[in-house]
Amino acid sequence: MELTVNGRAYTVDVEDDMPLLWVLRDELGITGVKYGCGIAQCGACTVHVDGIAVRSCQLAAGDVDGDITTIEGLGTPEALHAVQAAWIEHQVAQCGYCQSGQIMQAASFLDLNSAPTDDQIDQAMSGNLCRCGTYPRIRAAVKTAATKLQGA
Amino acid sequence: MRDWAFILALTFPVAAQAQEGGAAAWDRIYAVASHPRCTNCHVGEEGRPAWDDLGYGPERLHGMNVVAGESRIGAESIPCRACHMSAAGDNAVPHAAPQVDDAWRLPPVELAWRGRSSVEICTLLRDPEANDGFDIAALVEHVTTSAFVSYGFEPGAGRTGAPGSVTSLARDLKIWAEAGTPCADD
Repeated sequence: MELTVNGRAYTVDVEDDMPLLWVLRDELGITGVKYGCGIAQCGACTVHVDGIAVRSCQLAAGDVDGDITTIEGLGTPEALHAVQAAWIEHQVAQCGYCQSGQIMQAASFLDLNSAPTDDQIDQAMSGNLCRCGTYPRIRAAVKTAATKLQGA
Repeated sequence: MRDWAFILALTFPVAAQAQEGGAAAWDRIYAVASHPRCTNCHVGEEGRPAWDDLGYGPERLHGMNVVAGESRIGAESIPCRACHMSAAGDNAVPHAAPQVDDAWRLPPVELAWRGRSSVEICTLLRDPEANDGFDIAALVEHVTTSAFVSYGFEPGAGRTGAPGSVTSLARDLKIWAEAGTPCADD
């Protein structure tokens, strides 16, 4: 099976029904993406498929129909994505476990809706749980990133 | 005159029977259309899908604050497809996001059924102009080919299916149409 992850082509020998999350973490060693619940209830495993946020625990490897981006491919330490920069500015993360999913969700959301309302931010981010309760900082960081992206 | 009487005697009971059969068929159609597997997504302009029949009571709305918006696919906030995969699946895991082989979206706002009565939905479904352009033939085609409709009858673990089957629903739509699409307040 051929997959493109973060701009790099991979060939993997897996069953069609293996969740993409397993492929990424266990087969390819790309561990920025996290396992949380396995049933699309928490958002920790969010990656992009052709730029759209997808819960990778729900997507079977055989059903992948686009290029995959994980947190490792969103930005680099030298050239952070606006969402990553806003995350640092607002010091969002506490334990950090859910943050890769949060950031991938926020980046895809702002790509689809560059001028979101506060309600839309809350709606877009409500599928990503954070057990540390960093929600106020997440909301602030998404707003900052939206403003930055609009000015870009 | 005797001929007329003969024809009337034959026709009226047949017509009355068809009408009765049509009304009974509609009741079965309504049992499907008003089932939570259908009404959870057949919602109005607010674009807020429901989680009725999942053990939280009929008023419970979709978790995660999901609002499908004007786009009806959640493009303004979080697309349905973030969690609901557009690929056939056995939906064997309770509480997981159901998946079907179709693009996840809410039905058009014209087809809002949640909270509506039998007469309201009946009146809506028989009028193509009020019904997103669907005439009866298109409705039959829709119910027999839509992955969402099939899913409604066999939704997988932890969810009750709509009563009947795709075949019985298509048959009832035809019976209802042949009877002249009767509604209770006609």
